[in-house]
Amino acid sequence: MVALTLANLKMMSRNRQAAFWALFFPLLLVVVFGLFDIDGVGPGGLSVLDLSGSPVSHQIREDLEAINLLTVGEFGDGEAQARSAVASGDLDYLLMIPLGIDDPDKLRDPDSRLAVKLVYGSGNPGRNQLVDGTVRSVVARVLAEMPGVPYLGLVESQVVESEEVAVAQVSYFDGVLMGLVGLGIMTNSIISIAVRISTYRNSSILKRLLVTPLPIWKYFVGEVAAHVVLALIQAALILAVGVFVFGARIQGNLPGNLLGIFAIVALGSMVFLNIGFIVSAWSRTPAAASGMGNAIALPMMFFAGTFFSTAALPWVLPYAAQALPLTPMLLAMREVANAGQPLWTTWPQLAILAGWALATGVAATRVFKFN
Amino acid sequence: MEDAVLVDSLVKRFGSVNAVDDISFNVQRGEIFGILGPNGAGKTTTLEIIEGLQSPTQGSVSVLGMDIRRQGAQIKARIGVQLQSAAYFDYLSLHEILALLGTFYPKSVRPPELLDQVDLAGQAKMRLNQLSGGQKQRFTIAASLVNSPELVILDEPTTGLDPLARRNIWGLIRQIHQQDVTIVLTTHYMEEAQNLCQRLAIMDQGRLVAVDTPANLISRLGAAYSVKVVLAHPLTDAQIAAFDAGVEVVQGQFQDQNTYLLRLNDHSKSLGPVLDQISKNGAGLEHMEVTPVTLEDVFLELTGKELVD
Ligand SMILES: Nc1ncnc2c1ncn2[C@@H]1O[C@H](COP(=O)(O)OP(=O)(O)OP(=O)(O)O)[C@@H](O)[C@H]1O
Ligand SMILES: [Mg+2]
Repeated sequence: MVALTLANLKMMSRNRQAAFWALFFPLLLVVVFGLFDIDGVGPGGLSVLDLSGSPVSHQIREDLEAINLLTVGEFGDGEAQARSAVASGDLDYLLMIPLGIDDPDKLRDPDSRLAVKLVYGSGNPGRNQLVDGTVRSVVARVLAEMPGVPYLGLVESQVVESEEVAVAQVSYFDGVLMGLVGLGIMTNSIISIAVRISTYRNSSILKRLLVTPLPIWKYFVGEVAAHVVLALIQAALILAVGVFVFGARIQGNLPGNLLGIFAIVALGSMVFLNIGFIVSAWSRTPAAASGMGNAIALPMMFFAGTFFSTAALPWVLPYAAQALPLTPMLLAMREVANAGQPLWTTWPQLAILAGWALATGVAATRVFKFN
Repeated sequence: MEDAVLVDSLVKRFGSVNAVDDISFNVQRGEIFGILGPNGAGKTTTLEIIEGLQSPTQGSVSVLGMDIRRQGAQIKARIGVQLQSAAYFDYLSLHEILALLGTFYPKSVRPPELLDQVDLAGQAKMRLNQLSGGQKQRFTIAASLVNSPELVILDEPTTGLDPLARRNIWGLIRQIHQQDVTIVLTTHYMEEAQNLCQRLAIMDQGRLVAVDTPANLISRLGAAYSVKVVLAHPLTDAQIAAFDAGVEVVQGQFQDQNTYLLRLNDHSKSLGPVLDQISKNGAGLEHMEVTPVTLEDVFLELTGKELVD
């Protein structure tokens, strides 16, 4: 069985063209999404928590609204809620204007430590820097225009205190990268095994194996093991390009969560390999196997939320999407890689995946045909 | 010692087609046994049942004393099989394929030894698609020997090969046979059956029409020569009736209108009178072939068909 697995890996690596395209396709998507730099586009949301309620604070707000970089809103609740909104990534920027900001005496008094506070998450450093600088200059200018405030007496760095909250802020690309890992594993597992088995069947290689005493299950294990190894290599490559070339981040404690991702990849790829076996049983030629594999993989790619949330789908489709095997796989990977949760917290998804693996495995051995 | 193969009242139906229609025969240990028959005779189906690839509709088969229904795995460990049209892995070398196949058996022969035996030692690192037709056949025979089997089953080992490559394979099969290996093979070729096989089963349309040694099959015909004549004009019934007792018209007016196949007990006595008859009646002899009786004639006699592929 080990010999068979090794031989399978050897064959895969020698089939250069197939190996190349299998790895290249998802990588290409990583590059495409990486280059679009989706995160850099679009304004940040800024909420103002106005404790001063003075003409000065209104002026600051008005001036900020004039800036394209920000969409300004009001934050109705208290400071604690506002901060937790930032920490969870729901709010990009929080500007807190303290009581007494319109009092020139207090402003001049270094002991009062009166300052406007800007709180933001650590997720988008590029934009943070820009927003931070802009807010400082806006606030300094408004305060300097107040009667009785000597402009030179104000130092920008003193009137605004900024505070970065370390949030595991997930950029769109970080999430998509997981989608791409799932997509790559899914398409490659389904199509590669389906085409391979169908080719073997057409050329009677399977028949030749059947006249040896090799038990069928060992043959299956050899194929699955080799493909799981391939899936892990593929996942590693996609992650490496995403992280090192395009700066994606993987959250949580690194060795542990990385291993978690690979564990999910291995489990998921088993489900898709089983589906590949089933597809091969239904298709007479390798071309048909490839077509049927795509027909299963592509809709699943969309419905499982590889690139965008499926919550917006109409009718029962969001629920139907939950039933697809790719959905729990992506959910689990995003929990671990993007939310930084340990692997065990994803047990409901893992259980669904394991159920899928079992069900498709049983189905595969039932419908599998040798000739 | 029990038979290498014992087939008893075997039937295999595919829907309404009786691919194998109630056949019984045995293969003795140590012999080269041939199954001769035209396309669709049921040769491959019979072998695949023996190999455990297909299950019989009716009847029983035992191989090396074991029942195919109950001891399939043990049988597979002790037999070697060359399938009629099986490919091997594309991306492995000959050496690697044999090594991999070897891991499927409890005991196996080392790849260099196998390749040496089929004269492919120099091609060990090549892929199968780089070999010639004859080399490919030799390789698939080597692959059937990885477990040093007691029984080797070869389905049309020489089909599609040129005469030289065919003879080369015959030599190889004889050489394997000399190592106390029982061999069962199928063929379309009379010459091959006659030269290579110690006993023959002749199959047609799923039925077994005869099982015997080639010599016995031929002597059963009771004729020594066959004569094919092509005439300018057809013979009349009266002319045919006038041929002497040692002459049998096996086929009249076949292929084109005026070709006749005659069988003679003794050509030194009968050939002269036959030619006299033909020339006397002005039928106009255009062409004549006289050959010793072969399995071809046996086949024609038994099935009413010519064995052509
Ligand atoms: N799987 C199958 N399904 C339906 N019919 C089949 C199947 N396999 C074989 N047959 C039929 O059974 C008959 C015997 O086929 P078989 O392959 O055993 O012949 P053969 O003697 O090996 O012929 P050839 O010399 O062409 O190899 C043929 O009529 C064939 O069409
Ligand atoms: Mg055949």
